[in-house]
Amino acid sequence: MSKKIIPVKQPKHGLQVTQASDIQAGSTLKLQADAVVVGSGAGGAITAYELAKSGKKVIVLEAGPYVPSEKFTEMLAISMGTMYADAGGQSNTTGDISILQGACVGGSTVVNAALCFRTPDYYLHRWGKEHGLTNLKPETMRPYFEKVEQHLGIKAVGPNETSAGAELIGKGLKKMKLPLGRARRNVKECVQSGFCFAGCASDRKQSMLVTYLPWAVAYGATIYSDTRAVEVLAESGRATGIRAEVMDPATGKVKAQLQVDAPIVVLAAGPVQTPILLQRSGLANSSGQVGKNFACHPTLSVTAVFDKEVNDFHGATHSLYMDRNTLPEEGGYLLLNAVQDPVEASFQVEPGTGKPYVAYMSKYKNTIRLISLIHDKNNGEVVWENGVKKINYDVDDEDFESMKKGLATTCKVLFASGANKVYIPSSQHLEINRMEDVDAAVASLKNERARYRYTSFHPQGTCRMGADPKKSVVNPYGETHDIKSLYIADASLLPTSIGYNPSETVYALAHYISDHIVKA
Amino acid sequence: MYMFTKDPRAEAAMPAMAAIGRLSRRSFLQAAAAAGALTVMGRAAAAPPAMKFVGASEAAVLQRLMEVTLPLSGSDLLPLSQVAVLPTLDGALLATMPPHILAGLKGGIGYWNDGPRAQFNRPFVDLNDEEAVRFCDAWANGSEVPQRALSVGLKKLIALAYFANPPTWAPLGYDGPNTRKRNIPSLGNAALPRS
Ligand SMILES: Cc1cc2nc3c(=O)[nH]c(=O)nc-3n(C[C@H](O)[C@H](O)[C@H](O)COP(=O)(O)OP(=O)(O)OC[C@H]3O[C@@H](n4cnc5c(N)ncnc54)[C@H](O)[C@@H]3O)c2cc1C
Repeated sequence: MSKKIIPVKQPKHGLQVTQASDIQAGSTLKLQADAVVVGSGAGGAITAYELAKSGKKVIVLEAGPYVPSEKFTEMLAISMGTMYADAGGQSNTTGDISILQGACVGGSTVVNAALCFRTPDYYLHRWGKEHGLTNLKPETMRPYFEKVEQHLGIKAVGPNETSAGAELIGKGLKKMKLPLGRARRNVKECVQSGFCFAGCASDRKQSMLVTYLPWAVAYGATIYSDTRAVEVLAESGRATGIRAEVMDPATGKVKAQLQVDAPIVVLAAGPVQTPILLQRSGLANSSGQVGKNFACHPTLSVTAVFDKEVNDFHGATHSLYMDRNTLPEEGGYLLLNAVQDPVEASFQVEPGTGKPYVAYMSKYKNTIRLISLIHDKNNGEVVWENGVKKINYDVDDEDFESMKKGLATTCKVLFASGANKVYIPSSQHLEINRMEDVDAAVASLKNERARYRYTSFHPQGTCRMGADPKKSVVNPYGETHDIKSLYIADASLLPTSIGYNPSETVYALAHYISDHIVKA
Repeated sequence: MYMFTKDPRAEAAMPAMAAIGRLSRRSFLQAAAAAGALTVMGRAAAAPPAMKFVGASEAAVLQRLMEVTLPLSGSDLLPLSQVAVLPTLDGALLATMPPHILAGLKGGIGYWNDGPRAQFNRPFVDLNDEEAVRFCDAWANGSEVPQRALSVGLKKLIALAYFANPPTWAPLGYDGPNTRKRNIPSLGNAALPRS
């Protein structure tokens, strides 16, 4: 039963957040709550809202800063420095996969492209069979998807929500007789700035910053930004709270100490930081699985050059996809269009050193991009070693075969769209000039480290959910097997990678887990 | 063909290469603006400009790499004399590197500079343009991980520091941020759901 709304003055625009600047240097804050939520992204914001709505006193701790949309610069190079984990430079240990995550109030939802997919039934069935998650049946999950779709206004792009590149790619897909999927997004009245990755300056994207977080605050939740959880506290097998440090965002130094005592602890710090927090706390790891099973949906963005100017600068960041071959048995890859700014374009392609590079950048306005995203195995690991995090993950040989299939289709679609050449993003010059050469060129690619320029937008899997306490970290309802009332509600939960952008899966799971916390 | 001789600097440079994207771009614009005057001075001097975070010898390698990777004359792109590439790199990218990563980067730059000795008998800074391009492309396609990683990483540093400067966009035809230019109002926070 939901309780009465606690009357908190909600600003029309903006969010009430306690920031480092509000806290006295050197102080130690001791707070009490019914529930403490670590992280304010997809999983954290939804859990905070649902728990606050049920009448619980909720405190949200967010390591990143509060960046209101008035401060969004629409310049990726700048926003990476303010709103992304490691200033946008998080990578695997080899350094060839850039692993992007948001790190600000609202988490990755502030900088994501808002493309939403329900978890395919295929995975829900598979999770039931392989991980004992028979509770997550399609019919059980359906109301959760419907709820979040309604709350975030998730709907298919309208005919005007497109981009110059997407229009060309759409023609290519038609020529190739491939199905054109119209993106479904949590965007309201999109003005097609094309700057989703730098934050939506006019608050059209229905990120956590303008939805669940202000709603949670309306129900009495309090949010501390610049506040990094460093230890989960537990006694006699039961969670008791969080110890955190308030960081001065200007210096990166610890400004104050903060402890929240709460009988319910929810970790939603994302799939890189949640396992690190558990490893540092020495908790919930009797299975040895904390930090294991990392997957990240590696992507390669193929650039196509056209004879004419395309000016693919603005528009919906993603407006179309092609998922005929997305399930693992059918190929394991997904195609997505994307607009890209010149800074990103400047290091995605290697046309050769010097003059060829300058010639390529001079034609930036003639280029468009199509991304191949693959379903990958959960064969990576996040570890905390000597005070440094490491993401040990290299693309698996079999997964690379999926990538090759994806690349071949990507290149062909781009040629069918009218491109005169395409570049595969690699360390060396890798250019294909004719549709007929695609298969041979792609077949010759080898899976080698530091050879390709991968980007991952979807880390996941490091605290997997499952029925067997020996093989998983949390039970089918999000509670850790080892520690009572310690829950996880973020992308760490996913037992396998899902081959589709995962935000709606995280939103739905967070709602599902919140229901169980409220009922517990 | 280049022989790969094991050099401890190559392995030590790997974390630095992994960290190249990991650099704070927080101060990009300030660094670029503050560096404007420096660039002109630096370029007028015969010796490459010493930088705050890497010594003169590493700065010389980066300067040479910039000249080799961005031969802009004859193109419509903004000339190097009008873009504070190295000072941007120093002030916005290298400034926030943790000391051990910066040390790895320095080692990597040294390793890169010595790379051509086997074939050309000279370091990178002394190669002519054609040789330098050949070397860059050979390492980009090299058989060893550190060679490829350095080739991608060092060139990425230069490209980032050039194209992150907004004045470089006009010659590309790119018009940059547009929401405020178009006076698009914010929709503000979404209404609290009823259900
Ligand atoms: C650039 C980009 C584009 C994307 N595009 C799409 C898309 O179009 N569609 C889609 O479905 N998905 C997309 N995603 C992925 C999607 O946004 C994520 O899968 C989802 O947000 C994950 O939710 P989460 O709760 O696990 O983590 P996040 O949303 O990342 O939130 C985690 C939060 O925890 C905070 N935190 C970390 N450590 C601590 C700590 N110790 N103490 C306190 N707080 C901490 C972080 O700062 C962060 O704010 C994209 C992601 C990125 C980065």
